[in-house]
Amino acid sequence: MKKSKRPFGKILMVLMIVFFYLPIVYMIIFSFNDGKSLTHFTGFSLRWYQHMLDSQDMMEALYTTFSIALLATFISTVVGTIAAIGISHSKKIIRDLMEQVNNFPIMNPEIVTAIGFMLLFITFRIEKGYATMLLAHIAFCIPYVMLSVMPKIRSLDPNLADAAMDLGATPWQALTKVVVPQITPGIVSGALIAFTMSVDDFIISYFVTGRGVKNLSIMVYTMSKRVNPSINAISTLVVIIITIALVLINVGPMIAARHAAKNRSRGGKKKALGAAAAMICALAILVCFIRIGGNEAERPYEGQTLHIYNWGEYTGENIIKDFEEETGASVVMENFDSNEQMYIKVANGESYDILVPSDYMIQRLIDEEYLQKLDHSQLDCLDKLDNAVKGLPYDPENEYSVPYFWGTVGIVYDKTKVDIKDLENEGYNIFLDEKYRGEIYLYDSERDSFMMALKALGYSMNTENEAEIQEAYEWLVQCVQTMKPEIVTDEIIDNMAQGRKALGLIYSGDATYVMSENENMGYYMPESGTNLWSDAMVIPKTAKNPELAHAFINFASDYDGAYDNSSYVGYTSPNKEVMQELAGEGGDFEGINAYIPRTDNPNDEVFVYNEDTKKIISNLWSKVKIAASNAE
Amino acid sequence: MKRFSQLAIPYIVWAALMLVLPMALIALYSFTNQGNSIIAFSFTLEHYAKFFTDPDFLLILWRSILIAVKTTIICLLLGYPAAYFISKSSEKVQNLLVLGITIPMWINMLVRTYAWIGLLSEDGLIQRILSIFGLGNTELLYTEGAVLLGMVYNFLPFMILQIQTSLSKMDNSLLEASADLGASPVQTFRRVTLPLSLPGVINGITLVFLPAVSSFFIPKLLGGGQYFLIGNMIENQFITVGEWNFGSAISMIMAVIMMLLMMAVRKIEIRNQGGKEA
Repeated sequence: MKKSKRPFGKILMVLMIVFFYLPIVYMIIFSFNDGKSLTHFTGFSLRWYQHMLDSQDMMEALYTTFSIALLATFISTVVGTIAAIGISHSKKIIRDLMEQVNNFPIMNPEIVTAIGFMLLFITFRIEKGYATMLLAHIAFCIPYVMLSVMPKIRSLDPNLADAAMDLGATPWQALTKVVVPQITPGIVSGALIAFTMSVDDFIISYFVTGRGVKNLSIMVYTMSKRVNPSINAISTLVVIIITIALVLINVGPMIAARHAAKNRSRGGKKKALGAAAAMICALAILVCFIRIGGNEAERPYEGQTLHIYNWGEYTGENIIKDFEEETGASVVMENFDSNEQMYIKVANGESYDILVPSDYMIQRLIDEEYLQKLDHSQLDCLDKLDNAVKGLPYDPENEYSVPYFWGTVGIVYDKTKVDIKDLENEGYNIFLDEKYRGEIYLYDSERDSFMMALKALGYSMNTENEAEIQEAYEWLVQCVQTMKPEIVTDEIIDNMAQGRKALGLIYSGDATYVMSENENMGYYMPESGTNLWSDAMVIPKTAKNPELAHAFINFASDYDGAYDNSSYVGYTSPNKEVMQELAGEGGDFEGINAYIPRTDNPNDEVFVYNEDTKKIISNLWSKVKIAASNAE
Repeated sequence: MKRFSQLAIPYIVWAALMLVLPMALIALYSFTNQGNSIIAFSFTLEHYAKFFTDPDFLLILWRSILIAVKTTIICLLLGYPAAYFISKSSEKVQNLLVLGITIPMWINMLVRTYAWIGLLSEDGLIQRILSIFGLGNTELLYTEGAVLLGMVYNFLPFMILQIQTSLSKMDNSLLEASADLGASPVQTFRRVTLPLSLPGVINGITLVFLPAVSSFFIPKLLGGGQYFLIGNMIENQFITVGEWNFGSAISMIMAVIMMLLMMAVRKIEIRNQGGKEA
């Protein structure tokens, strides 16, 4: 036939393959990049692979992804096959009903299924974590397995099993020797679908996980805000694992078929199953290989686990490793990107040993009795901290909290693009100055955005006056409708460091990092005042290991821990000595005004928590974001 | 044979617990008030009223559906010719091409979407290529175009594979018969190929449209923080705002809309098959 002359089709296919593989190839190439950039290749290096292997988080995520996928595939295949056999022999009404029920996870938007699982686990007070993630994966995989097994059963002669039993086979034998071999292709393809679904899943895992358990998807989602080429490295590793698995699956049956042809036996399908099993074993071995870590001698907290719930990118490079080495405990860190996100998890009974919320949130947690008092006899760190961050209104005696970082909120600006006079004259109102349209970043935080708007209007950021809040809301809506801002969180850090936009609302610590990376950047705090904030370590009542939590608080406040944290992250350390050293001559942040918080402006305030105001602001902020989105 | 039916019982219990109950809980939350505990609840319709009386929310819903429709159309326009070409190739090439399209699907969706950030960002590869044609400085990342691209990229394989399956099942002798009876290639395509591939097309549309409407990580990664779709709104209600009842109501609304759309699509399919039989 006329196969050769389809130039259009060929071109289309080539373009399509390029389209599908371009990002993957690009990612693989940049995983070997020497620099941190995702756009400029500066030389070959394996440093991101080293980084990945050193990162316990990434290895754990890899382990979680594949162990859950293998377990969920195995269990859902077995259960799904048995259920399919059972249901196909049931009454029609049950068959139809079950078909409808199985359609729930297939036909519903995934996010709805995910929320259903989340509500289920929370309503029945099942602690979210590895087990819940596995349960959810099994639950949504089974319908897919059944979907691919059912047609094979239907095409079977229903008398086959009866015949086998008439000939003396037990029901079990009839099932395993007669029925199952006939439907093997359906089972294998069902298992493959289940595996794919599970490995690829993000939405459901995201909503049902807890206690720091994350798979690859969740990790990428939470880490994607800062440029991190190790994501490319771990992705490349996944590509390699998956390609090997696929080659095994595709080549395995071919070899098996060849064998089968030689032996004239019906073993082809069995071999296919064997190949699949071999692949699963190979993966399992790989997973175990990854799992094996170092084990060392006796230490005070050997074998114990500390669960920390902290902001993303908020710990030094070595502090966790050092703490683990010194105490023998292992640290599981889960990250949040807003106080509210953290609050919801804590309020729903998820257990952590240490939280690092901000001032007003600590007040709320104290008010609502989620925190336990610190045992001061176990703490030796308070004397080392600067007086300006101790005894703040949210916790006047530091009964509940020990400061972790502190700072201000201000405007980061590109000195080459922004006239300092504009900043001095307009303060926060520069965010409404059309001269800078399309050149600004807003920060996706309800309290700081409203702080900015309220201060721009000359009000207190702690106002409870609804008219003032409404005015601030309108200020923000005007900003998003006329100024084309980008609403970001941590993305602002790398983007401002590269000078992508002229202005942005930023935390002082992030500004410190930006300024140390790019000398064209400046940090300005409007005279109308700003938010003098602090984040502090607290121990919730649900903590399983308060003693270890105290040990960590001491460790993080001590010179070495605090130095590592502050110099790496760029936020101001509450440890007096560390702060002075880093800001002083020869220190990492010498001459950077963002590093030392302003403490002499009477307009500066500390956030106070008020339930009603918080609710109003929270709703209004999500409406601002919606307005921004609709303004496009 | 009868006793095999007992094998179904454990699964029926499991399905009631793990599949039916969660949906029931969403419905319960969406119609009730106060708190994240079901102990003290009172019936209300206020969450639904809140959604349907706010033009901003409705606009978000509309935009989410719109971008999903766009994604589906693009996938169909690209996917059908590709599937057609694949199904007309020799078996060996066919297997190879299907494998080629399947492999990326096995690689984590988040990872693949993340890879586009580098490609699309300022000074990235795509922008540099564009600047050769004098189109430099076009903003690519954090635009609606980027979200659309991300969706097409992620969901196109579903479309191709579905259509390809139904096309390759087709009996070639039908085409020959059609040609023998004097139909032009265009007529053959319209009268024979297209109707026979319709089930695949409909499956493909379902598999693209459904995830596209509710996706929230593609808009977040490629559209930036100011780009909000209905999926982001639900996520936001559950993860940061904490209004679970309202979030559940939005989920219910979305589930019902999807169900209605899917039923409409099914109806088209059934009518089409009915037409053939008559």
